[in-house]
Amino acid sequence: MNNNRPLSPHLSIYKKVLPAVFSILHRFTGIGLSFCSVIIVLWICLIALGENYFYLFKQVSENLMFKIIFIIWTIGLFYHLFNGIRYLYWSFGVGMDLKQIYISGYVVILLTLASSVLVWFT
Amino acid sequence: MVQFTLPKNSKINKGLVYKKKHNNHISINLKVYRWDPEENNNPRIDSYEIDKSSCGPMVLDALIKIKNEIDSTLTFRRSCREGVCGSCAMNIDGVNTLACIKPISEVKGDIKVYPLPHMKVIKDLVPDLSKAYKQLASIKPWIQRKNKDKNKSISSKQLMNQSPQEREKLEGKWECVLCFCCTTACPSYWWNSDEYLGPAVLLQAARWVNDSRDTERKNRLSELNDSLKLYRCHSIMNCTRSCPKGLNPAKEIADLKKAIVTEL
Repeated sequence: MNNNRPLSPHLSIYKKVLPAVFSILHRFTGIGLSFCSVIIVLWICLIALGENYFYLFKQVSENLMFKIIFIIWTIGLFYHLFNGIRYLYWSFGVGMDLKQIYISGYVVILLTLASSVLVWFT
Repeated sequence: MVQFTLPKNSKINKGLVYKKKHNNHISINLKVYRWDPEENNNPRIDSYEIDKSSCGPMVLDALIKIKNEIDSTLTFRRSCREGVCGSCAMNIDGVNTLACIKPISEVKGDIKVYPLPHMKVIKDLVPDLSKAYKQLASIKPWIQRKNKDKNKSISSKQLMNQSPQEREKLEGKWECVLCFCCTTACPSYWWNSDEYLGPAVLLQAARWVNDSRDTERKNRLSELNDSLKLYRCHSIMNCTRSCPKGLNPAKEIADLKKAIVTEL
């Protein structure tokens, strides 16, 4: 008799359903945003350091890698903002039916995409 | 503790394949998690091919057909076969549900059947729920009545009438069959099952907190007011998503938190 019982599989087999994916994305964007905010603040600080550093500021701003990170940062920011509002409502017990959870989830995606497009292409 | 990978003795191996004898009908493929305590092996996934035309509509029917006709060693819990007893809770097609009310037609492709996630396995699809039951007992799931006047005791023959409005507060709570589909779907419970009570038990807590005949509402709430017991819930919503009875444990937990803030 083998009493060393195995643990049934969990993360690897559980379906990636929308509410759970939104929850983990909220955490990831939160962590990512706090790291990136340091970079963004340093970038803005370059302007305050005077004309000697303006060239560096310009070079960083035109760097493709920096631009990509900046775009991802804005998308993450909008996602975290809108999903955060969704979570605030849930704290009051509002909008927690399964149907409403899905609808508000799609609304968050829509608002995130729309806001990001607005910021970058207008 | 958060551990994303399975321990060494729980890694899943490839298993046996049972092919259908006659190949003249449409078939259903089931991939089932197997582990036998009599053998010293790791768990494995066995694959069964069964005839669709002679099988009932639900996943439980398919499992029973396998046990009757192909492999009698397949072990699972079942009883009422109509979603009332909560015995046949398992992970089907990636989501926890009751096998008896999960239609085979809802699953696309192979039907993957696992025991409830992140539980110790007794055999095959039978998980060890003793810890969950202990947690249920810890919230005292019975009516408590204490008389304010200590000299008078409440007679057990005294009627405790409940108005329709008071009864309505229990809707969405009393229907729970304690299958623990929600609790074992919750990542928070996976990582903190020692302290966090889990959605099923918290739903039960809400059921007794909101019972008009119970006099210990305040005590119940203050016992729940604990950063680990209750506040490990981060509204991941896997509980509500998986509940086979269509209940909403996440909302009940949110209401409990609200009651603690406003009443204590």
